[in-house]
Amino acid sequence: MPGHRRPGRPATGRRTTAGTTTALITLLALLLAGCSGGGADTAKNGPVHLTFWSALRGSQEVVDAFNRTHSNIKVDFAQVPSGEQGGWAKLSNAARAGNAPDVATIEYPQLPGFTIDGVPRDISKLLPDSVRRKILPQALDLTTFDGRTYAVPVDIEPMVFLYRKDIFTKNHIPVPKTWAEFESSARALKKAQPRSRIASLFTTGGTLYMAAYAWQAGAKWYDTSGDTWRVAMDDAPTRKVADYWQRLKDDDLVRVEPGSSQQWRAHLRSGETAGYLAGAWAAGSMMASTPDGKGKWAVAPVPQWDAAKPKVSTQGGSTFMVTKDSNHPKEAMEFISWMVTSPAALRAKLSSGVSSAFPSVPGLVPVARKEMDTSYFSGQDIFGLFDEQAKLIAPTWKWGPRMVSTTTSGDDGLAKAGVGSGSVLEALRDAQNRTMPDLKSLGLSVTER
Amino acid sequence: MSTVISSKRTAPPPAAAAEPPSRTGRRQQRIAAAVLLTPFTALLVAVFLVPVGYAIYLSFFGEDHEGLGFGGGRTVFTGLRSYLAVLQDPSFLTGFGTIALYCVIFVPLVVLSALAIALLLDSGLVRLRRTAQMLLYLPHAVPGIIAAVLWLYLYTPGLSPIIKVFAQADITIDFLGLHTVLPSIVNIALWSGLGYNMIIFYAALQALPREVIEAATIDGAGGIRTALQVKVPIIRGSLVMVCMFSLIGALQLFTEPMLMNQATPMVNSRFTPNMYIYDAAFRRNNYGLASAASVILLIVTCALSYAVTRWSGRRERSAR
Repeated sequence: MPGHRRPGRPATGRRTTAGTTTALITLLALLLAGCSGGGADTAKNGPVHLTFWSALRGSQEVVDAFNRTHSNIKVDFAQVPSGEQGGWAKLSNAARAGNAPDVATIEYPQLPGFTIDGVPRDISKLLPDSVRRKILPQALDLTTFDGRTYAVPVDIEPMVFLYRKDIFTKNHIPVPKTWAEFESSARALKKAQPRSRIASLFTTGGTLYMAAYAWQAGAKWYDTSGDTWRVAMDDAPTRKVADYWQRLKDDDLVRVEPGSSQQWRAHLRSGETAGYLAGAWAAGSMMASTPDGKGKWAVAPVPQWDAAKPKVSTQGGSTFMVTKDSNHPKEAMEFISWMVTSPAALRAKLSSGVSSAFPSVPGLVPVARKEMDTSYFSGQDIFGLFDEQAKLIAPTWKWGPRMVSTTTSGDDGLAKAGVGSGSVLEALRDAQNRTMPDLKSLGLSVTER
Repeated sequence: MSTVISSKRTAPPPAAAAEPPSRTGRRQQRIAAAVLLTPFTALLVAVFLVPVGYAIYLSFFGEDHEGLGFGGGRTVFTGLRSYLAVLQDPSFLTGFGTIALYCVIFVPLVVLSALAIALLLDSGLVRLRRTAQMLLYLPHAVPGIIAAVLWLYLYTPGLSPIIKVFAQADITIDFLGLHTVLPSIVNIALWSGLGYNMIIFYAALQALPREVIEAATIDGAGGIRTALQVKVPIIRGSLVMVCMFSLIGALQLFTEPMLMNQATPMVNSRFTPNMYIYDAAFRRNNYGLASAASVILLIVTCALSYAVTRWSGRRERSAR
């Protein structure tokens, strides 16, 4: 899966036997994390050396391009496992041991937790205004807490609907513009092709998808009022969304399966699953994982609750942080600024393979548009669509302080709901109940709405 | 029969022990005791007392944050806050519920099967006794994690030959389903526990005075009656010990479900108290919470062990 990795669960699927070995490796990684990595050396006259950890594919190409064009800073890059496969643990252990890299990648949902643990540095003053102005405000809003900025967004991923154009056209099914239409299209598709379903309700990784649906509907799982966290993973908009998906599941209109699993991919390939709701990055991922779908897939805007007042949420996306441990925050910021804003960096990233990650800097969209070969989507101007959708991202969402464990708990509940024990809403309520003790024991001021 | 037993019990102690040791002898004994005890004590301190002490320390101190927490934390004395958080956490309590259910299935199953096998082996009914013993012990020699990996392979749809065979007969088996996953874990643990406990029972049975068995036979007791009413009561000490070890082992259930967690969402990341601790420490980075949970688990384990010992002690006294 080039270009961009979906946050949450690994591409191989957590529930496979490959995951079995991963468990062992994770354990080892935890033990070894303390020994690896390390701060940058300071050479008096030579270039400043920075260490950089990332799980994003294409990072090596970006770093190479940087090193080629910069003589004052040299970046040593290490590819780390994706978060759930040990990347998050590796970073927090390294920070705990005082040898975190200068620059690290973190996904939006996990950033508040890492910030509370004191891993990233407050970069409010370091971040040049010239860079700040270029970034989509909604993206920067997700990395700014309490008025202080802790990371620089590199991509922001408005949710879109990828669908099998050929199947929809053949069966005269309209592309849904609203969630009500989505449901009727789902029924129509099942009627026309009894083996096909319009989309999937994910178990593994599903909580983050639920978050995206809830966000779009106006939910606020985590809100702050003054110095207090207000948690409500079952507020009215969430209940609406959870009931909606529950109905789709109960009426067997969506496929219930682990996100990013082999099983799910196989269904996408065979056309048994004819759609996929995900961030913009998923277009590139589809090109890579389902090459024989070329010419069959298309991208549509995400369905709306109220077509007159369109709102979009994001799914996926990453940020770069300067760690507290870094001895060279200024140089680290220079490197990050280059990665986020320069066309050369974006070109290097895109050169690594198929990526459709939507840059957090709207000014770079023309570059991405030019670099990206969209023949897979029959030449559709997908970046134009992403650009429109990105403007609609609702600036209302905040991620909570412990999303790693919150989403794991939610996923466990969704898996149970998938086999008929409990419901989507109960899964989210459970996730909240299993998160609260953690927040309280951290001394955070927190209330349940 | 009873006379035989009581005469055995009141047999005089060996003569050597009764002799009062000389002064130099006593000193030598002390040195010997010190030499022999030092490695044990050192290990006990290093791998048990110090970690327990550190865990207790960690459970009372924790990262404290103000308000939203973004200002960064500092380590302060938090008193019982972590304990309160753990005890209010539904997932921690559910973990104990899971373990309780697991114990109810696992402990009687492993103890009774091991006892039955040991009695069978002891009865002389079994041919190739040595081979049978070795074969039964073999699963215990396989490290727990390897055994779990092997079983996981047999449980995973698409990989498992067992599921395939049943599928050909149109029978769908889901070893990793909502209600089957606990029995599946019991099964993994059973194989390694069986051989080990069987050996303990068998050794105890071998140490039985043969004249007791002979007496029972002369009194007209059949094989089954001898086994249940003569042999089992005499090896009750081993029985209690095995029960206790199985119970303690069950409370610390970790390896098998941790691995199953990778394969099925029905085993969540806080499935057992030990997994809760791991999750708290390494997924939630909450060392205070993890330590408090560890201390609680330690207390529960100690209390249960004590209860089992007391209970069996009382039974023994009242039986006499």
